[in-house]
Amino acid sequence: MTPTEPATRPAAVPAAAVRPPLPVKLVVAGGFGVGKTTTVGSISEIEPLTTEAAITEVAAGVDDLTHTPRKSTTTVAMDFGCLTIDPTLKLYLFGTPGQDRFGFMWDDLVEGAVGALVIVDTRRLDDCYAAVDYFEHKEIPFAVAANAFDGTVEHTLDEVRWALDVAEEVPVVVFDARERGSVRDALLVVLELALARTEA
Amino acid sequence: MADGQDPAGADGFTGPDGAPVGAASAVRPFLLTQGRVAGYASGSAIPLETQVVATTAGIDALDRLTLERHDIIAACRLPQSVAEIAAKLRLHLNVVRVLAEDLRAEGQLTVHVPRPGAARDASVLRKIIDGLRAIPDSRGVLRDSD
Repeated sequence: MTPTEPATRPAAVPAAAVRPPLPVKLVVAGGFGVGKTTTVGSISEIEPLTTEAAITEVAAGVDDLTHTPRKSTTTVAMDFGCLTIDPTLKLYLFGTPGQDRFGFMWDDLVEGAVGALVIVDTRRLDDCYAAVDYFEHKEIPFAVAANAFDGTVEHTLDEVRWALDVAEEVPVVVFDARERGSVRDALLVVLELALARTEA
Repeated sequence: MADGQDPAGADGFTGPDGAPVGAASAVRPFLLTQGRVAGYASGSAIPLETQVVATTAGIDALDRLTLERHDIIAACRLPQSVAEIAAKLRLHLNVVRVLAEDLRAEGQLTVHVPRPGAARDASVLRKIIDGLRAIPDSRGVLRDSD
């Protein structure tokens, strides 16, 4: 700004004529390679984008004599997509970075999320424990969705529920991350759970 | 699964197509923000889905803006989330957060932080549910709206 310009600026006027939509965020979580990005890509109106975000890792302190979790901030790639519901409302789907050896703090990413879909590969159920624990602790509505690789899952839903030891109210479903309709229905399970909580 | 590996990538530096993501820049994020960290002063950074739009003043100032500031304003002619800006410009999310706040203070960008509690608003949730139900699957079949 040059000294000759008036001291008062005109109020900021958005260049775009339309008001931005209200963005609502849903988190897609799970271990490495369970199909998070495939899930986002199946329903997103844009090709999934990748951005770098900072997360705090809490290292599993097996050799830590002080019992203080070692924390470090790590930059991770995060994939996301979006879906315009109407001109006033846009749903964002954020895939949490896969972290299978660490605890993690996603608070920065998850703050204000409507809910979460925790994707599991039934051959590697333990990969999703961290995500399940996190959303339970944060009291964020979430559903567990077993990705049917090759159209099948290796365990029954009852077995998955038993192994994960999730609360009775947590829905456990089978879906196919490659099928838009299947992803849509899995997201609807999360949203209906979130809605039920507002009415409880 | 088609991609065979988690595109979030163990090293965090490759995207779904294996292309380098963001990390291509040799410039450290804190240099772009003059050492500032997103949300440091206010205690909380703006959510990554926060919508930003260039103002008329911002568009008018495009010729005078340089580097990242120029790119951000140029990318925000239509409302975008800060996450989209970061991805498209291959900037660290927190760099975009800091620079967006600067540009807002200078009147070149409007920043629309989602209203708190929107995710717990039944009318918002019902609109999303109805919107999702209207999406046909790959075979064009709508979900029963029971």
